[in-house]
Amino acid sequence: MDYGIDVKEQEAVVQLKGRLTFNDHAKLRALIREMLQNKAKRQVLDLSALEFVDSAGIGMLLIAREEMANVDKQLVLRAATGQVKRVLTVAQLNKIVAIED
Amino acid sequence: MALASPFTGSLHGLDVPPDRVRRIATMLGLPEEGLAAGDGRVVALLGDAEAAADSAHWARPFAAWIEAGPLDDAAVAAQVARAAQADLYACLTTATANQLHLAGRIVHAIDSHRPLTESQRDDIELVLHEAISNAVVHGNLQVEGMKGLSVDALDRFSSALAARMADPAFAARRVEVSCWLAPQGELLVEVADEGSGFVPQNRADAATDASGRGLDLITAIARQVELLDNGRRIRIRFAL
Repeated sequence: MDYGIDVKEQEAVVQLKGRLTFNDHAKLRALIREMLQNKAKRQVLDLSALEFVDSAGIGMLLIAREEMANVDKQLVLRAATGQVKRVLTVAQLNKIVAIED
Repeated sequence: MALASPFTGSLHGLDVPPDRVRRIATMLGLPEEGLAAGDGRVVALLGDAEAAADSAHWARPFAAWIEAGPLDDAAVAAQVARAAQADLYACLTTATANQLHLAGRIVHAIDSHRPLTESQRDDIELVLHEAISNAVVHGNLQVEGMKGLSVDALDRFSSALAARMADPAFAARRVEVSCWLAPQGELLVEVADEGSGFVPQNRADAATDASGRGLDLITAIARQVELLDNGRRIRIRFAL
């Protein structure tokens, strides 16, 4: 998985690319650190270029959500398609995380 | 010594010395090498993960993939005989299975034998990936899942996984995937590991842990799921 961050006034948009699986623990760790450091209240993960996510990837997104909540920031998942959208639905993540089209 | 084998295809070495492929073929009474021999089923003998990186090697006529590297010839021959029991068969070390993204490779191979729709490919890849990840992480590497939802849990998981993946005693354990394509449109897959097994538990706190969702995802998508051999083997059925 690769990512790029665009920090604006109100929100930070993180573009995730490729595959997000249990092998990406170090990348997710670094990403969470960057999201904690920037000033935006809304941390949006743009999933439109993410091709594949697994259950551990879902778990890491929940860790990111929890870490943001701890510092009063909101995590939003945006624009999932294909396999990623399917997994978010099957895992019923909309009950726990804000999801936008 | 010729082993009794119902396997009637041929062997093809990928980064395995030709004289070694010849020796193993002789043990099994098979044609030496050649993609058009026998009944068309070809067993790929892999030297390592790099040797099988090309996706062309994960489609017809290939039907089995055995990592020969660290095994002796008799053990490889026994694996080839085992491959005959399934329509598609892979037996790789934990490190190689992980490096190759084995689930995607197997789906590519299934698709070449029985064309799948995009959503079938997505669902089968996810289920296979979850089953293989469980075999790799919790089975063979014996790494515990992420407890709680903190970056500390992520850090503990990271360091445990890296340490076990770097330890040949764990990383050389095998993952075995067998697939059967029934004519009535059912796909049966088994994934087995060499770990210490596990007993599935109803975890009341499942929603508050970062790990533990894999088996639930598999159950939600597959038609039927069975755990065998004390949790070392999972048998999954899909409707196609």
